[in-house]
Amino acid sequence: MKIARVEVDLTQQQLAEKIGVTRQTISLIEKGKYNPTLKLCLDICYAVNKTLDEVFWIEKENEYK
Amino acid sequence: MKKITDERLVLQNLKNIRIAFTIQTLGILGILGYDLVTKGLEGMRENPLWLVFIITTIISAYLSMSISTDHEMNKVNPQKRFSISLIVLILISTIVGFFVSFTDGFNITDGVTIGGILFICGLIPTFYIYNLRKKRQNQDMEE
Repeated sequence: MKIARVEVDLTQQQLAEKIGVTRQTISLIEKGKYNPTLKLCLDICYAVNKTLDEVFWIEKENEYK
Repeated sequence: MKKITDERLVLQNLKNIRIAFTIQTLGILGILGYDLVTKGLEGMRENPLWLVFIITTIISAYLSMSISTDHEMNKVNPQKRFSISLIVLILISTIVGFFVSFTDGFNITDGVTIGGILFICGLIPTFYIYNLRKKRQNQDMEE
């Protein structure tokens, strides 16, 4: 998500203001310490002009590693 | 003051309220427990906190009913369950009323009154849960 945000040239603060949350929330999502709701995920995607897939997709970890 | 729109903070706020509520309930229970030991059951019930505690418990019980109905794994027929509950309720109120009327110092009017009160008190939650189940059934049908 951080990459997507930097690509559209937004700071955490600017992105936070754009979607109506606090900067701390953006920071926690980027660190993976907060699990946002789907609604917030969509808002973030609209703000950075990307799809959910591009911003949030993580490959399922291989259990037999 | 600006309204909090950040979902994380709203959630955090709810969690904080839960902690405060737990502490408050423990405090109320502590005070009531102290009253129970020092003044007995009657003394405890004179304390207005007793009313607060009972009302909160009833509200919480009603609110958790809507969670229970959603949590029910197998689909239940609301009408059937309502009829079963109603029969059980009528049985219990009749038995209690019957025994009250035959207790020394009580007459048949007391028995009918107590049975009636018990029936009405039981009918309200039964009807409430019936409505919740019916609402859920309608939602399931729409899907």
